[in-house]
Amino acid sequence: MRTPTEQETRAGAALPELRIELTPTTVVSTALATMDFTPVHHDVEKATAQGSKDIFLNILTTMGLVERYVTDWAGPDALVRGINVRLGVPAYAGDALILGGRVAGREGDEVTVEVRGTVSLGDHVTGTVRLLLPR
Amino acid sequence: MYSLSGRTAIAGIGATEFSKESGRSELQLAAEAVFAAVDDAGLSPAEVDGLVTFTQDANQEIAVAREVGIGDLTFFSRVEYGGGAACGTVLHAAMAVATGAASTVVCYRAFNERSGRRFGQPDPRLGGQPSSQGVEMSWHVPYGLMTPAGWVAMFARRYMHAFGATSEDFGRVAVAMRRHAATNPAAWFHGRPITLEEHQRSRWIVEPLHLLDCCQESDGAVALVVTSADRARHLRRSPAVVTAAAQGAGRGQMMMTSFYRDDMSGLPEMGVVASALWSMSGLSPKDIQTAILYDHFTPFVLSQLEELGFCGRGEAKDFVADGGIEIDGRLPVNPHGGQLGEAYIHGMNGITEAVRQIRGTAVNQVAGVRNVLVTAGTGVPTSGLVLSRE
Amino acid sequence: MTTTAESGVHQRLADLAERQIAAGEVRGAPAADPVNLPMIRHWAAAMGDANPVYTDEEFAAGSAHGAIVAPPAMIQVWTMAGLDGGDTVGPVAVMLAALDESGFTGVVATNCEQTYHRYLRLGERPVAATRMSGLSGPKTTALGVGYFVTWVVTWYSDDEPVAEMMFRVLKFRPVERNPEPAKHDPYPLAPAVNRDTAFFWEGARQGELRIQKCGDCGEPRHPPGPVCPTCRSLNRTYTLAAGVGEVYSYVVHHNPPVPGREIPFVVAVIALPEGVRIVGNIVECAAEKVGIGMPVRVVYREMDDELILPMWIPRES
Ligand SMILES: [Zn+2]
Repeated sequence: MRTPTEQETRAGAALPELRIELTPTTVVSTALATMDFTPVHHDVEKATAQGSKDIFLNILTTMGLVERYVTDWAGPDALVRGINVRLGVPAYAGDALILGGRVAGREGDEVTVEVRGTVSLGDHVTGTVRLLLPR
Repeated sequence: MYSLSGRTAIAGIGATEFSKESGRSELQLAAEAVFAAVDDAGLSPAEVDGLVTFTQDANQEIAVAREVGIGDLTFFSRVEYGGGAACGTVLHAAMAVATGAASTVVCYRAFNERSGRRFGQPDPRLGGQPSSQGVEMSWHVPYGLMTPAGWVAMFARRYMHAFGATSEDFGRVAVAMRRHAATNPAAWFHGRPITLEEHQRSRWIVEPLHLLDCCQESDGAVALVVTSADRARHLRRSPAVVTAAAQGAGRGQMMMTSFYRDDMSGLPEMGVVASALWSMSGLSPKDIQTAILYDHFTPFVLSQLEELGFCGRGEAKDFVADGGIEIDGRLPVNPHGGQLGEAYIHGMNGITEAVRQIRGTAVNQVAGVRNVLVTAGTGVPTSGLVLSRE
Repeated sequence: MTTTAESGVHQRLADLAERQIAAGEVRGAPAADPVNLPMIRHWAAAMGDANPVYTDEEFAAGSAHGAIVAPPAMIQVWTMAGLDGGDTVGPVAVMLAALDESGFTGVVATNCEQTYHRYLRLGERPVAATRMSGLSGPKTTALGVGYFVTWVVTWYSDDEPVAEMMFRVLKFRPVERNPEPAKHDPYPLAPAVNRDTAFFWEGARQGELRIQKCGDCGEPRHPPGPVCPTCRSLNRTYTLAAGVGEVYSYVVHHNPPVPGREIPFVVAVIALPEGVRIVGNIVECAAEKVGIGMPVRVVYREMDDELILPMWIPRES
């Protein structure tokens, strides 16, 4: 992990894109790692019985992936202050989640990053992450 | 102490016709009014070296100067806060003349307020910008409280509660204005008086305000020439001397929405203007033969009578009863019909009426006029004048 | 059009919501396990998060944290019920169950906002406290007719709040269609928000009526501003208003039409016992019934996906 340069944290700067393959293993392992045992996140039959086309990511994972995406870029010394997201279409197993972002604003050391995570159905998650960059 | 009182005068007035659709640009309206005012004073545009208008006016001073053939300008300024600027333009002009910053200043206001942008229509952009005013508006606009009638109605309701005033008391103001306009050929409502019953039957705009509590929307322009009192004495017209001029804003002031201070039953900013006018002029309400009170909405005519000292607090409803502010009443108010009856030119047409009353040339002339008091927009930071005959 | 039966359902749900909101914050049990390295390692591996402050003792010791810390986004993980099943008696659980019973069986989360006051360290044992903050609806959404339920969770370590979360779900009556995200037309009268006023609108989103209070002299102030006019202090804080007040003045808007609003509507200046006045709409009350001095209490109305406005309804005095 590296710490971004001044240039890279200016308002408007784009974050490198991150593509995460949503294999069934990804969906199940993250659901269990977040202590979420709701069947729609690990049991295909129960998920389809509810009208979903497959098992899908749980929200705690979406929050975790958004956090990871931004701290991968900001480096280990950045402090995450908050994550605000709007949730959109489900992220099903077999799809891929593509995370993109840009620096929406910067006030001193505090940076707000806009994040958008899309899957083949559209926006899965959009929102902002507030973090404090190291001096 | 140096005083502005008596040093300057309004030497010329001019206006276009007042209509609902002028059919020409606001700049053309401005130019026509300036020509008329300069001609009235017997001056040529080339002699004008200062211009003052409203912050809200869409015609830049230099654009007006180019159209009418004004050459070098040594003074130009703008006055803030909507119709609250009206008398303020004369204050700024008088200060410029008295200090030598300019010798001949024209104040103007021109708009197509009916056929162009209408102030009475809700504009979602009011609260859209994080300027201080946008943020101020944002405590009101999201709730749909976003028209001048709505803002004034909020004060009117509280005024009714505090003093036992009724919608009919407001209606008496409208009836008086329309009576005056009925005999003023320049007025939009010439020949169209109303009764109190018609006022009461008119539709609700924002309760407690009926349609006939709200001034009209107009296209038109007005201009005034301000110069030194000495020079004015040698011009075509008898001068309307600026005996007092003042602006005023109160503590905790907002733009039409000062709901968060005092008891909402008065107009503290008009109180500020009043005490400045009386102290600068050395006059008192009994020295005023006729008053031009800003009447975009009827309830604030009542509060102004109180703030200016024509009657005590809460007593305006009695003051306006029995034709008290009509042409033959105890204090004729707006003999031209005001903005409810003549036209809504942001208070500037009221200043021209005051000048005509001083000159003795008004269509509804009040007898024995020596001093006329004029006020500007209410509910906003405002201004006022006392004009006098020599 | 709502039928009588529908409005009966609505009234029951609205009454229940009122009680659940009034119940305030309810604390759950402390985390089953203290913040621990194995769970962090599983989480980081599953997420693909290689940040060494979570797992590398040596690196963490040299970092700003001085020791291993938990990923902030794990906050909710610590207090998950796990396989034993979840909460069925808390204020939100009761509300969601009642919506299920009324046919609003579909659920989709629409918003999640987390604020982290600090990072958790190994050995800490957070407690989640939940309070319901709002029910709005019924609304027609792309998924069907439904209600938005909003709640706020605060995590405490001992008695120190360490993180907060606002969570909103749409409970809907499923329609025969593929699920799509809820979409609302943007409300045309959105306020301008800046640094001086953001706390107020943020509060409204969380079902709180926040009134600015000077951090030095204690003077309350609304509308808020950057400087205390009494003592020049820049130290701004806010208090949570009780959410009750009295009508100080009001108007009924009839003309002209206002974008985003149905006419007529009532706007009032409300005097709060906290010593300030605030402007808002009076809803769920016929215009003729409104009067100066009428006791009211606050409710929160969702205007679009972003904006929640505090509004006022009659209150028994
Ligand atoms: Zn203070």
